[in-house]
Amino acid sequence: MMTEKLSFKKGKRGRAAFIICNTVFLCLLMLIMVIPLWKVIVDSLDPTSVGIRLWPKQISFYAYKTILSKKSLYLPFFVSVYTTIGATAVGLLMTTLAAYVILQQEIPGRKLMITYIMFTMLFSGGMIPAYLNIQKLGLMNNLLVIILPAGVSTYNIVLMRSFFESIPSTLYEAAELDGCTPLRTFWKIVLPLSKPALASVGLFIAVGTWNEYMPFILYMQDNSKMNFQVKVRELILQDALAGTAISASDDMLKSAVVVVVVFPFLIIYPFVQKYFTKGVTVGAVKG
Amino acid sequence: MHMKSNKEKPTKYVPPKKNFKQKMIDIYHYRWFYLMFLPVFLSLLIFHYFPIYGIKYAFYDYTPFKQPEWVGWENFSYLFSSARFWRAFRNTIELSFIKLVLGMVFSVGLALLIDEIRSVTFRKLTQTIVYIPHFISWVVVASIFTLFLSPQSGMVNAIITALGGESIYFLASDSWWRVVFYLLNLWKETGWGTIIYIAALAGVDQEMYEAAAIDGATHWQRVRHVSIPAISVTILTVFILNLAKVLNLFDSVFVLQNDSVIKSSDVIGTYVYRMGIVSANYGVSTASGLFKSVISVVLITVANKINKKIKGEGILG
Repeated sequence: MMTEKLSFKKGKRGRAAFIICNTVFLCLLMLIMVIPLWKVIVDSLDPTSVGIRLWPKQISFYAYKTILSKKSLYLPFFVSVYTTIGATAVGLLMTTLAAYVILQQEIPGRKLMITYIMFTMLFSGGMIPAYLNIQKLGLMNNLLVIILPAGVSTYNIVLMRSFFESIPSTLYEAAELDGCTPLRTFWKIVLPLSKPALASVGLFIAVGTWNEYMPFILYMQDNSKMNFQVKVRELILQDALAGTAISASDDMLKSAVVVVVVFPFLIIYPFVQKYFTKGVTVGAVKG
Repeated sequence: MHMKSNKEKPTKYVPPKKNFKQKMIDIYHYRWFYLMFLPVFLSLLIFHYFPIYGIKYAFYDYTPFKQPEWVGWENFSYLFSSARFWRAFRNTIELSFIKLVLGMVFSVGLALLIDEIRSVTFRKLTQTIVYIPHFISWVVVASIFTLFLSPQSGMVNAIITALGGESIYFLASDSWWRVVFYLLNLWKETGWGTIIYIAALAGVDQEMYEAAAIDGATHWQRVRHVSIPAISVTILTVFILNLAKVLNLFDSVFVLQNDSVIKSSDVIGTYVYRMGIVSANYGVSTASGLFKSVISVVLITVANKINKKIKGEGILG
């Protein structure tokens, strides 16, 4: 990368002006990205905060205490955690398996397998046939519907394959010569070397499942099977549509629920971000 | 003369022709891999290929209270004579194309600006922050902005009233709903959209910039004539991949929609949901879903053909 010093010498002034404008513009843009999120956090903490205020005048944990005392929110949170862990485990297994098999250049039927996976991106039955299918399989109201299909996304498989390609093939060959079965090679060599890819694809699947909303609305019938996203939406819509005046504490509570649902992601994100920038980049340039 | 063969271009790998016995030996050799593919095969079969069989209900009269009955093209003639269906169709095209074009223009622009940053720390900070909204679900985005844009206590309306204006119920106004929809899409996805262009820009040969500089190109000319052409293939690829998803508009609209803005916000996805899940008219809703899927396939096939002409190879192989 070129390094360039900010210089105000004659002839370079236009460039310097651009660099300053660019920096200011990007800072403003970041502010726009962050303000709606920041405002929710402030509103969840400050009982007097209405309207324009962006800094809490006083801090109260009233809303969070109320959430903790609401036992009806525990189960949806647990459902979210359970489905997220399950879907991430299943999804990572499926994605890595598919990517590893497709990596074998000479396996008979390779093209067929790729077409089998790619076709899902091109054409699908649609919402109603999928719904009727789940009904016929007797999986209505069963959380497995959320966990099992999560894995196989074409995009993730392509990403994972590009990463596997960067592992030197001599390693596979050496393992084969030592008498490792492909399953053992996969488990002992491929997976341990793929931590960055596993972290980024894992993050995508986990966030995707944590954020899942429609499958719960479509396939779950009991209130006890709903996840946190469904609950958040219920709470937000409670009186917004009725048009009744909303008390300040109500707004605090709604903001706090939003903070709680985003919080787990914001905790993990900084740790995983460096991996996925790299992982996605590899996939993007090659795939 | 024998040196000539070394200079031949490397050709694409073509597996040697094999007879039946050799093939069986090969398949046996790879037996473990077929076992590894089995879970993937089953998962796709059950959750993706089974529903495709259910498309036949587009040609049936089917509700939960009676046996499916073959009606031929009747569901389609019902749809094509329904004003609501055409409204949903027009809305889908308009909303998703404007969203797609806006999103790409802003993402490319932002990627070019981020590429100009020379400080590694500032660059990382910018990237970290602009990616965040992508990971927030549409349900939560809708929740955040329901609060943010609320006519009673929202920040935006507080600013409007402080400036002497009248507060606006953005999400329940037919004229504002679309503007909000486009802006929220930009807020959520512009940053994430840059990731692929930034990678492509990082891959541009530095010598090209140096050569341009020696030829006396200004910085802007280098961006215009080196950077942008270098990522044009990526832009095209992203456009085509997104084109396949253009009609799949659903979650974002569903969570932002309410009864007062149905006119400007109803899309095929939400129409199918209301017809199929709320009114339980499986036949008609499957038919409208199928109509949507077929158009998607046509769109992506045409786009892939064009892509092949320009690039010499398609994305779908």
